[in-house]
Amino acid sequence: MTNVITNDNLQCTVALAALQNVMDPEIGLNIVDLGLVYQLDFDESEKKIYCAMTLTTQFCPMGESITNAVKENLKLSFPEYEAEIDLTFDPPWSHEMISEEGREFLNEQ
Amino acid sequence: MFSTTGNTEATKTTSWKVVLPFYGYAAIAFLIATILLLFSASDITSHYFLPHTLAIIHIMALGWGTMMILGASHQLVPVLIEGKLYSNKLAYASFTFAAIGIPLLVNGFYVFNMGLHTQCGGILIILSVIAYLINLAASMVKSKQENVHAFFIFTAALWLLATAIVGLLLLYNFTEPLLPKGSLNYLPVHAHIGIVGWFLLLVMGVGSRLIPLFLISKYNNTRQLWWIYGLINGGLLSFVYIFLYTDSKSLLSIPLLAVAASIVLFGDFCFKAYQQRIRKKVDEQMKVSLLSVLMMLLPVIFLVIIITLLILSPKENVSLIITYGFIIFFGWITAIILGMTFKTLPFIVWNKVYHHLAGKGKTPNPKDLFSKKVFKWMSVAYILGFVMFTAGILFYSAIVLQIAAALLLLTSLLYNWNVIKLLMHKPVSL
Repeated sequence: MTNVITNDNLQCTVALAALQNVMDPEIGLNIVDLGLVYQLDFDESEKKIYCAMTLTTQFCPMGESITNAVKENLKLSFPEYEAEIDLTFDPPWSHEMISEEGREFLNEQ
Repeated sequence: MFSTTGNTEATKTTSWKVVLPFYGYAAIAFLIATILLLFSASDITSHYFLPHTLAIIHIMALGWGTMMILGASHQLVPVLIEGKLYSNKLAYASFTFAAIGIPLLVNGFYVFNMGLHTQCGGILIILSVIAYLINLAASMVKSKQENVHAFFIFTAALWLLATAIVGLLLLYNFTEPLLPKGSLNYLPVHAHIGIVGWFLLLVMGVGSRLIPLFLISKYNNTRQLWWIYGLINGGLLSFVYIFLYTDSKSLLSIPLLAVAASIVLFGDFCFKAYQQRIRKKVDEQMKVSLLSVLMMLLPVIFLVIIITLLILSPKENVSLIITYGFIIFFGWITAIILGMTFKTLPFIVWNKVYHHLAGKGKTPNPKDLFSKKVFKWMSVAYILGFVMFTAGILFYSAIVLQIAAALLLLTSLLYNWNVIKLLMHKPVSL
Protein backbone atom coordinates (compact mmCIF):
# COMPACT_ATOMS: atom_id res chain seq x y z
CA MET A 1 0.00 0.00 0.00
CA THR A 2 2.62 2.60 1.04
CA ASN A 3 6.33 3.16 1.57
CA VAL A 4 5.92 4.18 5.21
CA ILE A 5 8.56 2.83 7.58
CA THR A 6 6.87 1.17 10.54
CA ASN A 7 7.65 -1.40 13.20
CA ASP A 8 5.48 -3.69 11.09
CA ASN A 9 3.14 -4.58 13.89
CA LEU A 10 -0.59 -4.34 14.47
CA GLN A 11 -0.31 -0.93 16.15
CA CYS A 12 1.32 0.61 13.10
CA THR A 13 -1.25 -0.97 10.79
CA VAL A 14 -4.05 0.56 12.90
CA ALA A 15 -2.25 3.93 12.99
CA LEU A 16 -1.84 3.93 9.20
CA ALA A 17 -5.51 3.08 8.78
CA ALA A 18 -6.37 6.00 11.09
CA LEU A 19 -4.20 8.35 9.05
CA GLN A 20 -6.04 7.32 5.91
CA ASN A 21 -8.92 9.41 7.27
CA VAL A 22 -6.80 12.55 7.00
CA MET A 23 -7.34 14.10 3.60
CA ASP A 24 -5.43 16.73 1.68
CA PRO A 25 -8.43 19.01 1.00
CA GLU A 26 -7.00 20.41 -2.25
CA ILE A 27 -6.21 17.07 -3.82
CA GLY A 28 -8.97 15.03 -2.18
CA LEU A 29 -6.60 12.15 -1.43
CA ASN A 30 -5.62 10.80 1.99
CA ILE A 31 -2.16 11.71 3.26
CA VAL A 32 -0.96 8.09 3.44
CA ASP A 33 -1.60 7.39 -0.24
CA LEU A 34 -0.35 10.86 -1.08
CA GLY A 35 2.98 9.83 0.47
CA LEU A 36 3.11 12.49 3.16
CA VAL A 37 3.71 10.03 6.00
CA TYR A 38 7.36 8.92 6.14
CA GLN A 39 7.65 6.97 9.39
CA LEU A 40 5.61 5.83 12.37
CA ASP A 41 7.16 4.77 15.67
CA PHE A 42 5.60 3.72 18.95
CA ASP A 43 7.52 4.37 22.15
CA GLU A 44 5.98 2.01 24.68
CA SER A 45 7.86 3.32 27.72
CA GLU A 46 7.00 6.99 27.05
CA LYS A 47 3.56 6.14 25.59
CA LYS A 48 4.27 8.27 22.55
CA ILE A 49 3.63 7.90 18.82
CA TYR A 50 6.18 9.64 16.60
CA CYS A 51 4.94 10.46 13.14
CA ALA A 52 7.56 11.71 10.69
CA MET A 53 5.78 13.39 7.84
CA THR A 54 5.98 16.08 5.21
CA LEU A 55 3.67 18.42 3.30
CA THR A 56 3.35 18.85 -0.48
CA THR A 57 5.06 22.21 -0.03
CA GLN A 58 6.63 24.15 2.82
CA PHE A 59 4.28 26.68 4.43
CA CYS A 60 1.33 24.98 2.75
CA PRO A 61 -1.75 27.04 3.78
CA MET A 62 -3.45 23.81 4.92
CA GLY A 63 -0.36 22.51 6.75
CA GLU A 64 -1.44 23.22 10.31
CA SER A 65 -4.89 21.74 9.69
CA ILE A 66 -3.33 18.56 8.29
CA THR A 67 -0.88 18.11 11.19
CA ASN A 68 -3.70 18.82 13.70
CA ALA A 69 -5.87 16.22 11.97
CA VAL A 70 -2.99 13.70 12.15
CA LYS A 71 -2.68 14.24 15.91
CA GLU A 72 -6.45 14.03 16.44
CA ASN A 73 -6.82 10.83 14.43
CA LEU A 74 -3.92 9.13 16.21
CA LYS A 75 -5.34 10.23 19.57
CA LEU A 76 -8.70 8.80 18.61
CA SER A 77 -7.25 5.37 17.78
CA PHE A 78 -4.72 5.37 20.64
CA PRO A 79 -6.21 7.41 23.51
CA GLU A 80 -3.51 6.31 25.96
CA TYR A 81 -0.70 7.63 23.72
CA GLU A 82 0.52 11.11 22.93
CA ALA A 83 1.13 11.87 19.27
CA GLU A 84 4.16 13.90 18.21
CA ILE A 85 4.76 15.16 14.69
CA ASP A 86 8.23 15.43 13.18
CA LEU A 87 7.76 17.60 10.16
CA THR A 88 10.54 17.22 7.61
CA PHE A 89 11.24 18.45 4.10
CA ASP A 90 14.31 16.28 3.66
CA PRO A 91 13.57 14.65 1.29
CA PRO A 92 10.92 17.00 -0.06
CA TRP A 93 7.64 15.49 -1.20
CA SER A 94 7.41 14.57 -4.87
CA HIS A 95 4.79 12.91 -7.07
CA GLU A 96 6.86 9.68 -6.99
CA MET A 97 5.79 9.24 -3.36
CA ILE A 98 2.13 8.80 -4.32
CA SER A 99 1.06 5.16 -3.89
CA GLU A 100 -0.36 3.04 -6.72
CA GLU A 101 -3.84 3.36 -5.18
CA GLY A 102 -3.36 7.12 -5.00
CA ARG A 103 -2.36 7.30 -8.65
CA GLU A 104 -5.40 5.26 -9.66
CA PHE A 105 -7.62 7.61 -7.64
CA LEU A 106 -6.11 10.69 -9.30
CA ASN A 107 -6.46 9.10 -12.73
CA GLU A 108 -10.14 8.49 -12.16
CA GLN A 109 -10.80 11.96 -10.75
CA MET B 1 16.96 8.15 4.72
CA PHE B 2 15.42 11.38 5.92
CA SER B 3 16.09 13.85 8.66
CA THR B 4 13.52 15.03 11.16
CA THR B 5 13.61 18.36 12.84
CA GLY B 6 10.77 17.93 15.28
CA ASN B 7 9.48 21.38 14.49
CA THR B 8 6.17 22.30 12.93
CA GLU B 9 7.19 25.89 12.12
CA ALA B 10 6.72 25.23 8.39
CA THR B 11 2.98 24.75 8.96
CA LYS B 12 2.51 28.34 10.14
CA THR B 13 0.85 30.15 7.29
CA THR B 14 -0.03 33.86 6.95
CA SER B 15 -3.04 34.80 9.06
CA TRP B 16 -6.37 35.15 7.26
CA LYS B 17 -6.73 38.53 8.96
CA VAL B 18 -3.91 39.84 6.76
CA VAL B 19 -5.20 38.39 3.51
CA LEU B 20 -8.99 38.72 3.51
CA PRO B 21 -9.19 42.56 3.51
CA PHE B 22 -7.29 42.59 0.19
CA TYR B 23 -9.76 40.08 -1.34
CA GLY B 24 -12.80 42.00 -0.10
CA TYR B 25 -11.43 45.33 -1.33
CA ALA B 26 -10.62 43.91 -4.77
CA ALA B 27 -14.13 42.46 -5.15
CA ILE B 28 -15.73 45.85 -4.40
CA ALA B 29 -13.29 47.61 -6.76
CA PHE B 30 -14.27 45.21 -9.57
CA LEU B 31 -17.94 45.97 -8.95
CA ILE B 32 -17.33 49.74 -9.01
CA ALA B 33 -15.24 49.46 -12.19
CA THR B 34 -18.00 47.57 -14.02
CA ILE B 35 -20.66 50.06 -12.80
CA LEU B 36 -18.53 52.95 -14.13
CA LEU B 37 -17.96 51.02 -17.36
CA LEU B 38 -21.72 50.67 -17.83
CA PHE B 39 -22.17 54.45 -17.50
CA SER B 40 -19.18 55.27 -19.72
CA ALA B 41 -19.46 52.45 -22.26
CA SER B 42 -20.49 54.64 -25.19
CA ASP B 43 -17.75 57.30 -24.54
CA ILE B 44 -14.95 54.80 -24.22
CA THR B 45 -14.26 54.58 -27.95
CA SER B 46 -13.41 58.30 -28.34
CA HIS B 47 -9.94 58.35 -26.70
CA TYR B 48 -7.97 56.50 -24.02
CA PHE B 49 -6.88 59.71 -22.26
CA LEU B 50 -10.29 60.67 -20.92
CA PRO B 51 -11.16 61.22 -17.23
CA HIS B 52 -13.62 58.33 -16.95
CA THR B 53 -11.43 55.92 -18.90
CA LEU B 54 -8.40 56.82 -16.74
CA ALA B 55 -10.49 56.30 -13.60
CA ILE B 56 -11.74 52.87 -14.78
CA ILE B 57 -8.22 51.76 -15.82
CA HIS B 58 -6.79 52.73 -12.42
CA ILE B 59 -9.57 51.00 -10.46
CA MET B 60 -8.96 47.88 -12.54
CA ALA B 61 -5.15 48.05 -12.31
CA LEU B 62 -4.86 49.07 -8.65
CA GLY B 63 -8.13 48.32 -6.85
CA TRP B 64 -8.83 45.04 -8.62
CA GLY B 65 -5.60 43.60 -10.03
CA THR B 66 -2.98 44.90 -7.62
CA MET B 67 -5.03 44.55 -4.40
CA MET B 68 -5.96 40.99 -5.29
CA ILE B 69 -2.37 40.09 -6.19
CA LEU B 70 -1.02 41.73 -3.03
CA GLY B 71 -3.53 39.77 -0.93
CA ALA B 72 -2.83 36.46 -2.62
CA SER B 73 0.90 37.07 -2.54
CA HIS B 74 0.92 37.66 1.25
CA GLN B 75 -0.61 34.18 1.47
CA LEU B 76 1.56 32.56 -1.19
CA VAL B 77 4.94 34.21 -0.59
CA PRO B 78 5.75 31.75 2.24
CA VAL B 79 5.06 28.85 -0.16
CA LEU B 80 7.17 30.43 -2.90
CA ILE B 81 10.16 31.48 -0.81
CA GLU B 82 9.83 28.61 1.67
CA GLY B 83 9.89 30.95 4.63
CA LYS B 84 7.47 32.81 6.91
CA LEU B 85 6.09 36.24 6.03
CA TYR B 86 8.33 38.71 7.89
CA SER B 87 5.67 41.04 9.31
CA ASN B 88 1.89 41.15 9.53
CA LYS B 89 2.07 44.81 10.57
CA LEU B 90 3.79 45.75 7.30
CA ALA B 91 1.07 43.83 5.43
CA TYR B 92 -1.65 45.81 7.26
CA ALA B 93 0.25 49.03 6.50
CA SER B 94 0.47 48.09 2.83
CA PHE B 95 -3.31 47.47 2.75
CA THR B 96 -4.22 50.66 4.62
CA PHE B 97 -2.05 52.96 2.48
CA ALA B 98 -3.40 51.46 -0.76
CA ALA B 99 -6.99 51.32 0.48
CA ILE B 100 -6.96 55.08 1.14
CA GLY B 101 -4.71 56.05 -1.76
CA ILE B 102 -6.60 54.29 -4.56
CA PRO B 103 -9.97 56.10 -4.13
CA LEU B 104 -8.18 59.46 -3.81
CA LEU B 105 -6.30 58.82 -7.05
CA VAL B 106 -9.28 57.41 -8.94
CA ASN B 107 -11.56 60.25 -7.84
CA GLY B 108 -8.93 62.72 -9.06
CA PHE B 109 -8.97 61.11 -12.49
CA TYR B 110 -12.76 60.90 -12.59
CA VAL B 111 -13.26 64.61 -11.93
CA PHE B 112 -10.00 65.38 -13.75
CA ASN B 113 -8.44 67.31 -10.89
CA MET B 114 -4.76 66.41 -10.51
CA GLY B 115 -4.36 68.57 -7.40
CA LEU B 116 -3.31 67.81 -3.85
CA HIS B 117 -5.83 65.03 -3.12
CA THR B 118 -4.88 63.06 -6.20
CA GLN B 119 -1.18 63.56 -5.50
CA CYS B 120 -1.69 62.37 -1.91
CA GLY B 121 -3.39 59.29 -3.35
CA GLY B 122 -0.32 58.62 -5.51
CA ILE B 123 2.04 59.08 -2.53
CA LEU B 124 -0.01 56.68 -0.37
CA ILE B 125 0.14 54.06 -3.12
CA ILE B 126 3.94 54.41 -3.24
CA LEU B 127 4.07 53.97 0.57
CA SER B 128 1.95 50.84 0.22
CA VAL B 129 4.35 49.38 -2.35
CA ILE B 130 7.37 50.26 -0.18
CA ALA B 131 5.80 48.48 2.82
CA TYR B 132 5.18 45.43 0.61
CA LEU B 133 8.76 45.50 -0.75
CA ILE B 134 10.32 45.73 2.73
CA ASN B 135 8.14 42.83 3.90
CA LEU B 136 9.08 40.78 0.85
CA ALA B 137 12.81 41.53 1.10
CA ALA B 138 12.93 40.78 4.85
CA SER B 139 10.99 37.52 4.34
CA MET B 140 13.41 36.46 1.59
CA VAL B 141 16.51 37.33 3.65
CA LYS B 142 15.13 35.39 6.63
CA SER B 143 14.21 32.38 4.51
CA LYS B 144 17.71 32.07 2.94
CA GLN B 145 16.18 29.85 0.24
CA GLU B 146 16.98 31.10 -3.23
CA ASN B 147 14.60 30.15 -5.96
CA VAL B 148 13.54 31.49 -9.31
CA HIS B 149 9.95 32.25 -8.19
CA ALA B 150 11.18 34.56 -5.43
CA PHE B 151 13.24 36.50 -7.98
CA PHE B 152 10.16 36.90 -10.19
CA ILE B 153 8.08 38.29 -7.32
CA PHE B 154 10.72 40.63 -5.94
CA THR B 155 11.61 42.03 -9.36
CA ALA B 156 7.91 42.45 -10.16
CA ALA B 157 7.45 44.42 -6.93
CA LEU B 158 10.40 46.66 -7.91
CA TRP B 159 8.70 47.31 -11.27
CA LEU B 160 5.49 48.14 -9.40
CA LEU B 161 7.39 50.71 -7.36
CA ALA B 162 8.87 52.16 -10.57
CA THR B 163 5.37 52.29 -12.12
CA ALA B 164 3.97 54.12 -9.09
CA ILE B 165 6.88 56.61 -9.01
CA VAL B 166 6.58 57.35 -12.74
CA GLY B 167 2.80 57.70 -12.26
CA LEU B 168 3.29 60.24 -9.49
CA LEU B 169 5.79 62.16 -11.62
CA LEU B 170 3.22 62.30 -14.43
CA LEU B 171 0.63 63.57 -11.95
CA TYR B 172 2.91 66.39 -10.75
CA ASN B 173 3.77 67.13 -14.36
CA PHE B 174 0.14 68.13 -14.95
CA THR B 175 0.29 71.00 -12.47
CA GLU B 176 3.99 71.88 -12.58
CA PRO B 177 6.10 70.96 -15.60
CA LEU B 178 8.81 68.62 -14.29
CA LEU B 179 9.41 66.60 -17.46
CA PRO B 180 10.55 67.85 -20.89
CA LYS B 181 7.24 66.81 -22.50
CA GLY B 182 3.58 66.54 -21.46
CA SER B 183 2.40 63.61 -19.32
CA LEU B 184 0.53 61.98 -22.21
CA ASN B 185 3.88 61.40 -23.98
CA TYR B 186 5.17 59.21 -21.15
CA LEU B 187 2.02 57.20 -20.72
CA PRO B 188 3.33 54.15 -22.68
CA VAL B 189 6.32 53.86 -20.30
CA HIS B 190 4.11 54.12 -17.18
CA ALA B 191 1.58 51.64 -18.60
CA HIS B 192 4.05 49.04 -19.86
CA ILE B 193 6.33 48.87 -16.84
CA GLY B 194 3.12 48.27 -14.87
CA ILE B 195 1.59 45.73 -17.23
CA VAL B 196 4.73 43.79 -18.17
CA GLY B 197 7.01 44.44 -15.20
CA TRP B 198 4.42 44.07 -12.45
CA PHE B 199 1.51 41.99 -13.71
CA LEU B 200 3.14 39.75 -16.32
CA LEU B 201 6.31 39.02 -14.36
CA LEU B 202 4.40 38.34 -11.15
CA VAL B 203 1.71 36.18 -12.77
CA MET B 204 4.40 34.10 -14.46
CA GLY B 205 6.46 33.76 -11.27
CA VAL B 206 3.49 32.66 -9.18
CA GLY B 207 1.80 30.69 -11.98
CA SER B 208 4.93 28.67 -12.75
CA ARG B 209 4.87 27.45 -9.14
CA LEU B 210 1.13 27.05 -8.60
CA ILE B 211 0.01 25.56 -11.94
CA PRO B 212 2.24 22.43 -11.64
CA LEU B 213 1.37 22.23 -7.92
CA PHE B 214 -2.40 22.29 -8.48
CA LEU B 215 -2.19 19.90 -11.43
CA ILE B 216 0.24 17.62 -9.50
CA SER B 217 2.50 17.72 -12.51
CA LYS B 218 5.85 16.01 -12.95
CA TYR B 219 7.06 18.88 -15.11
CA ASN B 220 9.61 21.38 -13.85
CA ASN B 221 12.09 23.42 -15.86
CA THR B 222 13.96 26.08 -13.90
CA ARG B 223 16.21 26.91 -16.87
CA GLN B 224 13.18 27.80 -18.99
CA LEU B 225 11.88 30.02 -16.18
CA TRP B 226 15.20 31.90 -16.00
CA TRP B 227 14.96 32.46 -19.77
CA ILE B 228 11.47 33.87 -19.33
CA TYR B 229 12.74 36.11 -16.49
CA GLY B 230 15.61 37.40 -18.65
CA LEU B 231 13.42 37.98 -21.71
CA ILE B 232 10.81 40.00 -19.82
CA ASN B 233 13.27 42.17 -17.91
CA GLY B 234 15.60 42.58 -20.89
CA GLY B 235 12.63 43.40 -23.13
CA LEU B 236 11.25 45.94 -20.67
CA LEU B 237 14.57 47.69 -20.06
CA SER B 238 15.21 47.91 -23.79
CA PHE B 239 11.68 49.28 -24.31
CA VAL B 240 12.24 52.07 -21.76
CA TYR B 241 15.57 52.96 -23.38
CA ILE B 242 14.24 52.88 -26.98
CA PHE B 243 11.12 54.85 -26.05
CA LEU B 244 12.93 57.58 -24.11
CA TYR B 245 16.16 57.96 -26.09
CA THR B 246 15.35 57.11 -29.72
CA ASP B 247 12.65 58.12 -32.18
CA SER B 248 12.64 54.78 -33.94
CA LYS B 249 9.30 52.95 -34.00
CA SER B 250 10.78 49.90 -35.73
CA LEU B 251 13.25 49.37 -32.86
CA LEU B 252 10.22 48.78 -30.62
CA SER B 253 9.92 45.37 -32.29
CA ILE B 254 12.95 44.23 -30.21
CA PRO B 255 11.24 44.44 -26.79
CA LEU B 256 8.01 43.24 -28.35
CA LEU B 257 9.74 40.11 -29.68
CA ALA B 258 11.42 39.51 -26.31
CA VAL B 259 8.15 39.73 -24.38
CA ALA B 260 6.29 37.67 -27.02
CA ALA B 261 9.00 34.99 -26.77
CA SER B 262 8.65 34.95 -22.97
CA ILE B 263 4.87 34.44 -23.29
CA VAL B 264 5.37 31.60 -25.78
CA LEU B 265 7.90 29.98 -23.42
CA PHE B 266 5.52 30.38 -20.48
CA GLY B 267 2.66 28.92 -22.55
CA ASP B 268 4.94 25.99 -23.40
CA PHE B 269 5.80 25.57 -19.69
CA CYS B 270 2.10 25.48 -18.73
CA PHE B 271 1.21 23.13 -21.58
CA LYS B 272 3.94 20.66 -20.60
CA ALA B 273 2.86 20.90 -16.96
CA TYR B 274 -0.69 20.16 -18.12
CA GLN B 275 0.42 17.22 -20.29
CA GLN B 276 2.49 15.66 -17.51
CA ARG B 277 -0.14 16.05 -14.79
CA ILE B 278 -0.95 13.13 -12.54
CA ARG B 279 -4.36 14.49 -11.58
CA LYS B 280 -6.42 13.98 -14.70
CA LYS B 281 -9.51 16.02 -13.86
CA VAL B 282 -9.00 19.78 -14.18
CA ASP B 283 -11.53 21.85 -12.22
CA GLU B 284 -13.38 24.89 -13.59
CA GLN B 285 -11.25 27.41 -11.67
CA MET B 286 -8.09 25.88 -13.12
CA LYS B 287 -9.59 25.90 -16.62
CA VAL B 288 -10.31 29.66 -16.36
CA SER B 289 -6.74 30.22 -15.11
CA LEU B 290 -5.29 28.19 -18.01
CA LEU B 291 -7.51 30.15 -20.41
CA SER B 292 -5.92 33.34 -19.11
CA VAL B 293 -2.50 31.99 -20.13
CA LEU B 294 -3.80 31.75 -23.71
CA MET B 295 -5.27 35.23 -23.35
CA MET B 296 -1.75 36.62 -22.78
CA LEU B 297 -1.19 36.23 -26.51
CA LEU B 298 -4.09 38.52 -27.48
CA PRO B 299 -2.47 41.79 -26.33
CA VAL B 300 0.77 40.76 -28.08
CA ILE B 301 -1.11 40.33 -31.37
CA PHE B 302 -2.74 43.76 -30.91
CA LEU B 303 0.61 45.33 -30.06
CA VAL B 304 2.16 43.88 -33.24
CA ILE B 305 -0.66 45.46 -35.27
CA ILE B 306 -0.41 48.81 -33.40
CA ILE B 307 3.40 49.05 -33.87
CA THR B 308 3.17 47.97 -37.53
CA LEU B 309 0.57 50.69 -38.18
CA LEU B 310 2.70 53.25 -36.30
CA ILE B 311 5.70 52.39 -38.50
CA LEU B 312 3.57 52.80 -41.62
CA SER B 313 1.86 56.01 -40.46
CA PRO B 314 2.57 58.21 -37.41
CA LYS B 315 -1.16 58.62 -36.64
CA GLU B 316 -2.33 56.49 -33.69
CA ASN B 317 -5.17 54.03 -34.17
CA VAL B 318 -7.15 54.93 -31.04
CA SER B 319 -9.69 52.08 -31.14
CA LEU B 320 -6.86 49.52 -31.40
CA ILE B 321 -5.07 51.08 -28.41
CA ILE B 322 -8.31 51.10 -26.35
CA THR B 323 -8.96 47.46 -27.31
CA TYR B 324 -5.37 46.63 -26.32
CA GLY B 325 -5.89 48.17 -22.86
CA PHE B 326 -9.30 46.54 -22.47
CA ILE B 327 -8.10 43.02 -23.27
CA ILE B 328 -5.28 43.40 -20.75
CA PHE B 329 -7.32 44.64 -17.79
CA PHE B 330 -10.74 43.13 -18.46
CA GLY B 331 -9.33 40.13 -20.34
CA TRP B 332 -6.12 38.57 -19.18
CA ILE B 333 -5.83 40.04 -15.65
CA THR B 334 -9.53 39.61 -14.88
CA ALA B 335 -9.62 36.02 -16.19
CA ILE B 336 -6.71 34.94 -14.01
CA ILE B 337 -8.23 36.60 -10.93
CA LEU B 338 -11.70 35.13 -11.54
CA GLY B 339 -10.15 31.67 -11.70
CA MET B 340 -7.55 31.97 -8.94
CA THR B 341 -9.88 33.64 -6.39
CA PHE B 342 -11.90 30.44 -6.11
CA LYS B 343 -8.76 28.35 -6.04
CA THR B 344 -7.29 30.22 -3.05
CA LEU B 345 -10.07 32.01 -1.11
CA PRO B 346 -12.05 28.84 -0.14
CA PHE B 347 -8.91 27.44 1.53
CA ILE B 348 -8.20 30.68 3.41
CA VAL B 349 -11.82 30.77 4.64
CA TRP B 350 -11.76 27.05 5.47
CA ASN B 351 -8.63 27.59 7.56
CA LYS B 352 -10.30 30.50 9.35
CA VAL B 353 -13.53 28.63 10.13
CA TYR B 354 -12.54 24.97 10.48
CA HIS B 355 -8.88 25.06 11.45
CA HIS B 356 -9.62 24.16 15.10
CA LEU B 357 -12.00 21.36 14.03
CA ALA B 358 -9.49 19.53 11.81
CA GLY B 359 -9.64 15.81 12.57
CA LYS B 360 -12.39 16.22 15.19
CA GLY B 361 -15.30 15.50 12.89
CA LYS B 362 -16.49 15.78 9.34
CA THR B 363 -16.20 19.27 7.89
CA PRO B 364 -17.23 20.55 4.46
CA ASN B 365 -14.67 20.51 1.67
CA PRO B 366 -13.19 23.97 0.92
CA LYS B 367 -14.46 23.62 -2.66
CA ASP B 368 -18.03 23.39 -1.34
CA LEU B 369 -17.93 26.75 0.42
CA PHE B 370 -18.94 28.65 -2.72
CA SER B 371 -21.59 28.03 -5.37
CA LYS B 372 -20.24 26.24 -8.44
CA LYS B 373 -23.43 27.09 -10.32
CA VAL B 374 -22.92 30.81 -9.73
CA PHE B 375 -19.25 30.39 -10.74
CA LYS B 376 -20.34 28.77 -14.01
CA TRP B 377 -22.85 31.55 -14.79
CA MET B 378 -20.22 34.13 -13.89
CA SER B 379 -17.80 32.53 -16.37
CA VAL B 380 -20.44 32.52 -19.15
CA ALA B 381 -21.41 36.18 -18.50
CA TYR B 382 -17.73 37.12 -18.41
CA ILE B 383 -16.73 35.43 -21.68
CA LEU B 384 -19.78 36.85 -23.50
CA GLY B 385 -19.25 40.33 -22.05
CA PHE B 386 -15.55 40.32 -22.83
CA VAL B 387 -15.94 39.19 -26.46
CA MET B 388 -18.86 41.58 -27.11
CA PHE B 389 -17.11 44.59 -25.55
CA THR B 390 -13.97 43.95 -27.63
CA ALA B 391 -16.12 43.72 -30.78
CA GLY B 392 -18.03 46.86 -29.69
CA ILE B 393 -14.82 48.93 -29.46
CA LEU B 394 -13.46 47.67 -32.76
CA PHE B 395 -16.74 48.19 -34.66
CA TYR B 396 -17.86 51.38 -32.79
CA SER B 397 -21.20 49.88 -31.82
CA ALA B 398 -22.77 51.72 -28.86
CA ILE B 399 -25.53 49.15 -28.36
CA VAL B 400 -23.08 46.20 -28.34
CA LEU B 401 -20.89 48.10 -25.84
CA GLN B 402 -23.87 48.76 -23.59
CA ILE B 403 -25.03 45.11 -23.59
CA ALA B 404 -21.45 43.91 -23.05
CA ALA B 405 -20.95 46.35 -20.15
CA ALA B 406 -24.19 45.03 -18.57
CA LEU B 407 -22.83 41.46 -18.91
CA LEU B 408 -19.55 42.49 -17.26
CA LEU B 409 -21.52 44.13 -14.44
CA LEU B 410 -23.42 40.85 -14.07
CA THR B 411 -20.04 39.06 -13.92
CA SER B 412 -18.88 41.27 -11.07
CA LEU B 413 -22.21 40.88 -9.22
CA LEU B 414 -21.99 37.08 -9.44
CA TYR B 415 -18.33 37.21 -8.42
CA ASN B 416 -19.20 39.37 -5.40
CA TRP B 417 -22.09 37.06 -4.51
CA ASN B 418 -19.70 34.12 -4.26
CA VAL B 419 -17.01 36.13 -2.45
CA ILE B 420 -19.57 37.36 0.12
CA LYS B 421 -20.88 33.78 0.51
CA LEU B 422 -17.32 32.70 1.29
CA LEU B 423 -16.47 35.58 3.61
CA MET B 424 -19.71 35.16 5.60
CA HIS B 425 -19.38 31.39 5.92
CA LYS B 426 -20.29 30.08 9.38
CA PRO B 427 -19.17 26.65 10.63
CA VAL B 428 -21.43 23.72 9.78
CA SER B 429 -20.88 20.13 10.91
CA LEU B 430 -21.67 17.27 8.57
